[in-house]
Amino acid sequence: MSMSVDFKTYVDQACRAAEEFVNIYYETMDKRRHAITRLYLDKASLIWNGNAVTGMEGLKKFFDMLPSSEFQVNILDCQPVHEQATQAQTTILVVTSGTVKFDGNKQHFFNQNFLLTAQSTPNSTVWKIASDCFRFQDWAGH
Amino acid sequence: KFVLQNTHSDMYHQQKYALPLQKYGNYSNEEYSMDNRRVFQQRGRNYTWHKFDRKDYNFEHTGAPYAVGLNKKKRRWNDDDRTFLSAWDDRKHKESKMSYNAQNGTRESWFKVTIPSGRNYDKTWLMNSIMSICSVPFTPVDFHYDKNQARFFVQDASTASALKDASLKICDEENQKIIIFVRPSIVPYSVKSYFTPKQMEQIKLTMMKRYDVSQKSLDLRKFRFDRDLMSCDIDMMLNRRCCMNATLQIIQSNIPELLSLNLCNNKLYQLDGLSEVVEKAPQVKILNLSKNKLRSVSELEKVKELKLEELWLEGNPLCRTFQNESAYASAIRDQFPTLIRLDGKELLSQTVMNNENPQLRKESYKEPEIIRDLVVQFLKEYYSIYDSGDRHGLLSAYHDEACFSLTIPFNSCDSDLSNLEEYFKHNRDLIKLKDSYTRMKLLKHTNRAIVDSLSTLPKTQHDFYSFWVDMSLCTEVMLCFSVNGVFKEVEGKYQGCVRAFTRTFVTVPKSSSSMYIINDKMILRNSSPREIQKPFIPLPTVSPSLPKSTLSEKHQEMVKSFSEQSGMKLEYSQKCLDDNEWDYTKASKIFSILQTDGKIPKEFFK
Repeated sequence: MSMSVDFKTYVDQACRAAEEFVNIYYETMDKRRHAITRLYLDKASLIWNGNAVTGMEGLKKFFDMLPSSEFQVNILDCQPVHEQATQAQTTILVVTSGTVKFDGNKQHFFNQNFLLTAQSTPNSTVWKIASDCFRFQDWAGH
Repeated sequence: KFVLQNTHSDMYHQQKYALPLQKYGNYSNEEYSMDNRRVFQQRGRNYTWHKFDRKDYNFEHTGAPYAVGLNKKKRRWNDDDRTFLSAWDDRKHKESKMSYNAQNGTRESWFKVTIPSGRNYDKTWLMNSIMSICSVPFTPVDFHYDKNQARFFVQDASTASALKDASLKICDEENQKIIIFVRPSIVPYSVKSYFTPKQMEQIKLTMMKRYDVSQKSLDLRKFRFDRDLMSCDIDMMLNRRCCMNATLQIIQSNIPELLSLNLCNNKLYQLDGLSEVVEKAPQVKILNLSKNKLRSVSELEKVKELKLEELWLEGNPLCRTFQNESAYASAIRDQFPTLIRLDGKELLSQTVMNNENPQLRKESYKEPEIIRDLVVQFLKEYYSIYDSGDRHGLLSAYHDEACFSLTIPFNSCDSDLSNLEEYFKHNRDLIKLKDSYTRMKLLKHTNRAIVDSLSTLPKTQHDFYSFWVDMSLCTEVMLCFSVNGVFKEVEGKYQGCVRAFTRTFVTVPKSSSSMYIINDKMILRNSSPREIQKPFIPLPTVSPSLPKSTLSEKHQEMVKSFSEQSGMKLEYSQKCLDDNEWDYTKASKIFSILQTDGKIPKEFFK
């Protein structure tokens, strides 16, 4: 950690970013699905119930295919990620859990974690998803 | 016994032809023991006789002996057909190889074998199955696909009849019986000599001129317009099967060790003719098919058995069918997994994940299997210690400035959260917790704080083999993965309770085979009934500590420090110190030396 910014500030910043981001993300997923890929980095990776989706094209297709959703986030937590892991790109780990109902399917409990990376523009900091891992809680696997 | 019919089995003879024999009386052996000459000599008579018999379809032998029963059409009578009307003597198996192929003037009988839907089967499997069922061993010639059918040629009638017998005897994966049609045919292309020997010699000379021995590479670009060939009036259109065959034949006979083949600019529309290259020049690793007329990637399937390292395809219509470069590259790579360069550019090694940092993209990533093994090993060690009863052993697993937090999701169905009360004091949920101070407090920072905190959690037993791991991100400097699984409480008020967890780890490399946790985020809940179904298989746990009675307090301290500093397990740290007369500095030195030399086995480390 660079000495100039102390840990507490990092944590506060991370928490604020996480809260804001999660609000935007799930609202976009539910109400403006076509715009969801704007929240992802070009080379972001998504693992959805064990299936990997990469690249903007892949993500676009995937989210198109996914039926319309109704998310309810019950918990949220985040941690700042140390720069040693990110080569000085400010990154936070965000974890959420809640329920989701996809059109035509039953309701599921889900767990999701994101790695968000800050992209600074002159006016503000935009957080984008570098990786997204989503799983139904009752996804039993093989 | 004597039968005037070209059929395969004795049984068949008896069944089908016993009756006609009676009908037409007995024929003595001498009169009808056929050999080639007699057939022709008695051509007139035989002709009549057989013509008569053709009314009875059971007797169908209109020159397609292997279509008996199946082929109900009247077939055209021609020279080829007639030649198969030789008679069989059961005692001596006379082959009808003596048929005279009027067209070519060579003494051969060729048969075309067709397997409808043959394209759907793997070629090796198909041929092996047929060969295993066929009573006569054979070599298929000119195996190729025509639309959905697989076709090849065989020589001699006994093979042909044996293959006909094999029809409907092989079942494919869907339990459909495979039909094999066999018909006589003219000599197959590859055997047929399209060029005169003199021409072949000239072609060979021309090719050798274009062959670079040092590189083992053959440059046949624009072969048709080669000066030498044109001056001899030889038209080598490589898109024609016969020309490609001749070329491949020459390669096979003279330079089978060929490594690089350049077929640029030869108006190749399809690669059927080239498919033989797999047998004739199996070492080819560099193939240049640029500037041809290949329309689709499926053409490449015909040569996909080549273990290509370099391939050129630019300038073919198929290149334009892809949306972008990476779709193109991956489609090609699907056909040729060993490919290193495409159109002159290096293909990046497959990466499981990618990193947004452009600098890192160029470096080679570890193969996914290596990473997976790394993670599995890490998790085994981690949970071994986690379940051992003393979680302080995890200190060295965490980075100095790692973070940890725990959250218990509020799920309306899981109403009884009271049995998670031991964990609630650590519960960090930003939705419910708005107070900045508490938020900070519940985020454990530094490895010591984390390990202390973990040590206060109830003792557990994890079901390692039930774990699911999702690899979210993998870069040169970090891994991010999530572990989903279950564990049991093994003591205390809630002993026996099974919990389900999702734990997200972010790790950074410690050495080439180990890592530090830099973020650890756990979500914990009661498991659902489904999740407890399988039996628990715990990992063997690390012995928590050495028998304390044998070591003095001072030595125990030394062992503990040494273990923390070196990363070695307690027992091995003790051994090292013991071996060095409990001289801490000396032991450290020896340890460092051994470690740099790589002499210390992995199992010694935590």
